[in-house]
Amino acid sequence: MERRVVVTECSAITPIGQTKEEIIRHLVDGKSGVKKLRDDGLLSNYIQSGVFGTVDYPIEYDFKRTYRKTMGPVAFYACQVAKEILEKAGLGEDFITSGRLGVAFGSTHGSPSVQRQIYRSFFSNSESEFSSIGAIDYLKSMVHTTSVNITKMFGITGRVISSCTACTTSSQSIGFGYEMVKYGMQDAMLCGGADEYDTTTVAVFDNLLACSTAFNDAPHLTPRPFDVRRDGLVVGEGAGAVLLEEYEFAKRRGANILCEIIGFSCNNSGGDLIFPNMDAITKAIQLGLQDAKISADEVDFVSAHATATKMGDVVEAQAIYSVYRDSPLITGLKSYMGHTMGSCGAIELIIALYMMEEGFVAPTLNLDEIDDRCAMIRHATGLTETDIRVAAIQNFAFGGVNTSIIIKKI
Amino acid sequence: MTRDEIKTELMRIFRDVFEFKNPDPNDNLRDVHGFDSVDAIELLREIEIMLGARLSREEKEKAMDVRTINQIVDYVESLASTRS
Repeated sequence: MERRVVVTECSAITPIGQTKEEIIRHLVDGKSGVKKLRDDGLLSNYIQSGVFGTVDYPIEYDFKRTYRKTMGPVAFYACQVAKEILEKAGLGEDFITSGRLGVAFGSTHGSPSVQRQIYRSFFSNSESEFSSIGAIDYLKSMVHTTSVNITKMFGITGRVISSCTACTTSSQSIGFGYEMVKYGMQDAMLCGGADEYDTTTVAVFDNLLACSTAFNDAPHLTPRPFDVRRDGLVVGEGAGAVLLEEYEFAKRRGANILCEIIGFSCNNSGGDLIFPNMDAITKAIQLGLQDAKISADEVDFVSAHATATKMGDVVEAQAIYSVYRDSPLITGLKSYMGHTMGSCGAIELIIALYMMEEGFVAPTLNLDEIDDRCAMIRHATGLTETDIRVAAIQNFAFGGVNTSIIIKKI
Repeated sequence: MTRDEIKTELMRIFRDVFEFKNPDPNDNLRDVHGFDSVDAIELLREIEIMLGARLSREEKEKAMDVRTINQIVDYVESLASTRS
């Protein structure tokens, strides 16, 4: 049994805004959400990269203590986008608690800020520390903290999938959620990812010489996907979530259908855990099209993973060209907000959806001079009014995990 | 600590830390205030801080039968007496 799967609600917290209007304003105005890296009192002074995709606007949470008590910052992000979706969706409590709604939600590594508190307790010799300190911190920091804080808050009793595959965390969440609904194992899935402000991730990429360091005094000029002056990625924070429903179920209840998910692929490079693999990425793109049962020339827009690393962008451009040639418009959305890690797939899908709804493609920001090795594809270099009927969102992660999600206007 | 001091401090903890509205010493914590396993762990930590001493595993296990604030006052009074 294969069923159609549609997106009926979405919500995001991003460095370029929280509402659709605010996010579109940043895209149209070419305004970046990358700011100077904040002092964290631990690592920031040792990191060469001085930029971060920052959520610097206030978010008004109104979670009761019974929910807050097991939430670290990453779960606050996750529960906020989940709450906005469920408030808008109009699903009855009977359905939410029926076991037919599941959650696929993850983060890169739980809550690193809470983990720091735990380590402080471990390494502290202070007599004022007690053995029970840290027991609840585990619930706040564990890898599946986002998904289970969501299930707890809303009484969701269906399947739980907690992907934690770094940059493909939320694209896997959406993909695996899509498969749950497509194959009849759940009627709806709340899917996404979140990551909080974290300098540990910056330090890791910094040590790998993969972080941008040349624009510390002008953060808005980096990252620069596909540009000759690109010098690495910019880590960011945020959250994104979508509600997936079986098409007939959504139609029957009069849900507002935003788009259809028609294809998903996920594969692995089967080798190096860091370097991008051209063959595996190409295969992932092809598998996505195969699952969607469409040809490459039917795709109007590709949201590239495009982290702005020197090698990654070249490999991705070549892989895109080998499948799509120069047909679809290509944008690297991380140019606006940095790499929001576990949430990037969901956020990029939501932005692609917004552009599909509004009939435009935003250009890759800071793409002043295209690297010759990336020039064979059709870069969006200016704001382009166009009808996106089908869009592909591709993401690649450490560990050689590759995903492609194909969405279609309905 | 005297019994009154223990009771006053516990009522403060339930109001300020646990955000209970109008806690009554005879309330069943689970039924009236939704007190759960996570709260129990938090409360034991608060009691350790209040007493300035770690609780043994056996002492913590004795807390599992406690249901009301009055019973918690009895429990903490008993712990305090063994440490005075």
